[in-house]
Amino acid sequence: MNPQLPNTLQQQCFYNPNDHMFANHSALVKPDPGMDEYWAGLHAGAFSDDQLGYGYMNPNPVAQPVETDQALFVQGNSSSVSASVSPKKRKGQSLQVVSDKEKKIKGCSEGDSRITHDQNSNSKEASNNTSSKDKSKVSEVQKPDYIHVRARRGQATDSHSLAERVRREKISERMKYLQDLVPGCNKITGKAGMLDEIINYVQSLQKQVEFLSMKLATVNPELDFNIDNVFAKEIFQCSTSEFPALGCSSTNSAYFQLNSMDQGGISYCGLDMGINAAEMGLRRSISAPISIPDQTFMDSSCYNQQMQPSGVWDGDIQNLYRMEFELETLIPFQSHQFTGSNEGINMKTET
Amino acid sequence: MHTSSKLTKEFTKKWVKGLQICCSSKKDMDVLERKKKIKLCADIALASAKNATTSWSIALISEAKKNDENEILVDNLLGPESRFKQQKIIRQMNSCHKRVRSKKILKKSCSISQRMKKMGPPKSNLAAYIAKRLVKKRTQVLQRLVPGGESMDEFSLIKEALDYILSLRVQVDVMRNLANATEVLNQSNSSNVFD
Repeated sequence: MNPQLPNTLQQQCFYNPNDHMFANHSALVKPDPGMDEYWAGLHAGAFSDDQLGYGYMNPNPVAQPVETDQALFVQGNSSSVSASVSPKKRKGQSLQVVSDKEKKIKGCSEGDSRITHDQNSNSKEASNNTSSKDKSKVSEVQKPDYIHVRARRGQATDSHSLAERVRREKISERMKYLQDLVPGCNKITGKAGMLDEIINYVQSLQKQVEFLSMKLATVNPELDFNIDNVFAKEIFQCSTSEFPALGCSSTNSAYFQLNSMDQGGISYCGLDMGINAAEMGLRRSISAPISIPDQTFMDSSCYNQQMQPSGVWDGDIQNLYRMEFELETLIPFQSHQFTGSNEGINMKTET
Repeated sequence: MHTSSKLTKEFTKKWVKGLQICCSSKKDMDVLERKKKIKLCADIALASAKNATTSWSIALISEAKKNDENEILVDNLLGPESRFKQQKIIRQMNSCHKRVRSKKILKKSCSISQRMKKMGPPKSNLAAYIAKRLVKKRTQVLQRLVPGGESMDEFSLIKEALDYILSLRVQVDVMRNLANATEVLNQSNSSNVFD
């Protein structure tokens, strides 16, 4: 039996809408009775409809008998594909067995991407096409051009309908993905409704971008963006490990030196330094006239703002919260700035 | 998780860079112009953060390049080493357009002939027919929303839409954070002045 492959991809990736599922092309999908290998194929991202040849059958039936109760699913690239969770796995064979009848043919779609990558495709051909109305279905990869699909019991077997079915199932899998991504889509099942939700969501996101860019334009009298501030923000989002190091005990002399530097210079070298500049960036974010206690408080208020929920934060938030509490207890508040932190705290609690 | 934070980083860096370029060129702009510049920078930064791997990013970049004054911006953002990619992008877009045009012509001619034949069958399966029409309309709308969507079939359209949604989210988050941070700083600055 094929050993289960180490699934590097976290399964929660599926269910956490904030994760970027698609970008992680090389990730493997954890097998899941509901989710199939197709997701892995999606991740491989090598889909192209041109490559799929639908419904081509091997004229020479393979000698190997097909078990009627089991569907054989051959994965070409067995080494890189997560095995499907099937209780009826065949032992001692390179074939992986999928037991459901309802398992869709779609394996071909992900087999597609597998084909191109794997050399040792186990090409045990599943047997034949038009004559077979077996309970089992097999999809297999033999050559890069052909996807061999077997018809399900009681269904039409000509190549057109098979192609149609494959296509439909691909789309429905994608729709499932979308359900995880777009909030509030769990109840909707039809394609039209899902598309509706997607359209609304995309439109709302685009409008948000418009609105935010307008807001930024008004908030900044010049397009300068107060580079220090931008800096701090960037650093916030970049680094998490730096945060515990930040504290009030930082050297104060550094503040003034940095603040006196040219703004443009700071920003550029900051951009280059990236993550390592977390501490420096924060100090720079505070403009010169503010005194030191205020500066450190500005840190915390900046923290507050940054802690507003963004999908990116997730694990980082814990660190930030800790840091923020430390900072706030140590610094004497000033009344006008207190409101700022209040807002931040309120927003935190809302989310 | 990691990939989205990477994307955030990339996007932020590129966006800030683009904004610096923008503000160095012109001194006085009114609000609307500024807003347009900001949005443009954000879009291009987002697209280039993807490094032209996805279709919608390619479409965004090529659209931006059509405008001459943005070209410098785009070039700078994409980076000097991506000259070849730009050529590839341009070529791809051209071929896409041709494909789209020929597809449209084909569709029109087909649909006309089909309409002649098709009077009977839809009536028998009315529900499915209506459902199909609905889906079709919606995919058309989605095609218009996602940049570069016209030249995609339904399947890849959905994939692109997914990717686009994720990147839009990143963009919104970054922009929102920046806006709020700027506000706070402004507040504190002004209150310091009054003290």
